Amino acid sequence: MFERLDPRSPTPLYEQIAARIRVGIAAGDLDPGDTLPSVRHLAATLRVNPATVVQAYRVLEAEGFVERRHGAGTFIRAIGQDRRDGERERQIEAWAERVLAEGARLGIGIDELAPALERAREKGRHG
Amino acid sequence: MLRVILFQQWKGSRMLLFLAGLTAFAVPVVSASTYSWRAQSSWDPAGLLLFGYAVGFLYPAIAAATGLIVAVTAWGPDHRGGHVYALSLPLPRWRYAGLRFVAGVVLISAPVFMLAIGTGLVALTAPIPEGLTAYPVALTARFALAALVAYGMFFAVAAGTTRTAATILGVMAGLVALQVVLTAFGARVNILGGVTNALFNWPGPFDIFGGRWLLIDV
Amino acid sequence: MGNAIETDGLHYTLGRGFALEDVSLRVPVGSIYGFLGPNGAGKTTTIRLLMGFHRPTRGAIRILDRAIPRELPTVLSATGFVPERPHLYPTLTVAETVRHHSAFQPRWDREWAASLFRRFALAEDRRVSRLSKGEMGKLLLLLALGQRPDLLILDEPTEGLDPVVRRELMSVLMDYVADRTATVFISSHLVHELERFCDWVGIMDRGRLLTEMPMTQFKNSLKRLRLSTGVALPDAPFELLVRERAVATAGETWLVRGWESSMTAYIAERGAEVREVIDLDLEEGFVELLRSFRVAEQDASSKET
Repeated sequence: MFERLDPRSPTPLYEQIAARIRVGIAAGDLDPGDTLPSVRHLAATLRVNPATVVQAYRVLEAEGFVERRHGAGTFIRAIGQDRRDGERERQIEAWAERVLAEGARLGIGIDELAPALERAREKGRHG
Repeated sequence: MLRVILFQQWKGSRMLLFLAGLTAFAVPVVSASTYSWRAQSSWDPAGLLLFGYAVGFLYPAIAAATGLIVAVTAWGPDHRGGHVYALSLPLPRWRYAGLRFVAGVVLISAPVFMLAIGTGLVALTAPIPEGLTAYPVALTARFALAALVAYGMFFAVAAGTTRTAATILGVMAGLVALQVVLTAFGARVNILGGVTNALFNWPGPFDIFGGRWLLIDV
Repeated sequence: MGNAIETDGLHYTLGRGFALEDVSLRVPVGSIYGFLGPNGAGKTTTIRLLMGFHRPTRGAIRILDRAIPRELPTVLSATGFVPERPHLYPTLTVAETVRHHSAFQPRWDREWAASLFRRFALAEDRRVSRLSKGEMGKLLLLLALGQRPDLLILDEPTEGLDPVVRRELMSVLMDYVADRTATVFISSHLVHELERFCDWVGIMDRGRLLTEMPMTQFKNSLKRLRLSTGVALPDAPFELLVRERAVATAGETWLVRGWESSMTAYIAERGAEVREVIDLDLEEGFVELLRSFRVAEQDASSKET
């Protein structure tokens, strides 16, 4: 779930970690009541500053996705389906924006992009 | 703390220490049996004393060597590491040096002990002629003191920075070289003789090394 | 909170030519401070001064709110140190080394050290002289952590180690730091590694501390701009560090500090278009900053002559 965190990306590490958790929640991989890894464990596993993990958890808590219970850990909160759907939509849009931005840098427009996506999907089915 | 320092010093010097101890044991025993072999049946007092003078120099030599070995093995590993490890330990430098010194004293007791056994053996079993007595305790005590004096001196030299130790050795080498040059030019100066005289004869600090070292004496 | 390490105008001369000049460090308590610099910049010399191996010719040092070298033993009992080059006694075995070291540390935690020993899978009876680099690296970190220090001073602890061991060491280090408010002062060449977990960065070059700032500020403040054409900047809201003609196209490439996206308007007003704003990762930022300081130094000295 936390593979390939990119310390060089302009997105701060804590935001990258928080984003992955949000994706997990929206996709249903993380259910309400599940515990997130302890700060200590996650920091050691990812080899990042523990303060980074703390910040990621705080952001998620502020957004209402998780709940920190002193001494017990950090738990995924139950959120309504529409909230989850809304979150998923937001993520898809953010991803789409990233793809378009990168395309623009490479000089690839959306009219070339859409058919290419289709072809890739076909290849994935049969390949 | 002393225990671990002692262990570390012992581990680094045990081979040489064993040799020094073996030699300290061997000198009285082997010299007594050599004389015994030569003298055949009875021990002649005059001959025994002369023999004693001939081999006596070995005692202070081994004492000095022991002092040197223990001092060098005390500081050698620290020098090699640039003293970084010792300096990173949370205790004052003088305390660390003190621990090393005490550990060295403990290690010196090993060859001293071996000498005690060797001289004691000779004193108990040798056919000592009338008029002469064996002094195993006095000899061992003198040996111990000489070894400690040598140790103290070499310890102080070795405890300095590597540069200080090298400087001191350099000065000594320089004196030797100077003597050689002066003698070559026919000068009648005896630098080393003068220095030795000042150090090794009373009231010099190293006078313990001079004089006669006899196990069996009048 | 105060500073775990504070130096004030440190000066130190080492032999001919090399000198530390006016080094003033501020390492906040609980931070993970990355000490960067090219070879020969003076990082190890600075660390040796902090550890009390040398006395500075000028300047004061305070570590954990105590004066160095006056209260050195007290500070060292709360500080874990990993040197640049291994410094252990070669004839001792691994177990003997740990036993030796622990005898001097009043705060040694036997169980914690034993758990680290198991985690690192060290061979008890192997002589220190026969350890591989990786094993030595692990042993050194164990010795530094065993006393549960409040401060860790690590001089290139992962230098020359393979990625597997490096990860293991950093993982253990992060684990330790998460558990308590320990400060980590780590010098390293492996800029990428520092990027992941340092929240402060200090950069040394040629005996001077060039700059010192929070990591986020360092990452965000330096940008490379590609401009359609060069323009004059009478009073820019940002700092222009380096300015070069672009290689393939017309226009210029600038290295700026303190950039904000709203400043594109400012440049547009001056008649140029900002084609691209490139974020610099830590290594690029570090290299570019060094370059800009060296160029500035050259300009200053050429102006004097």
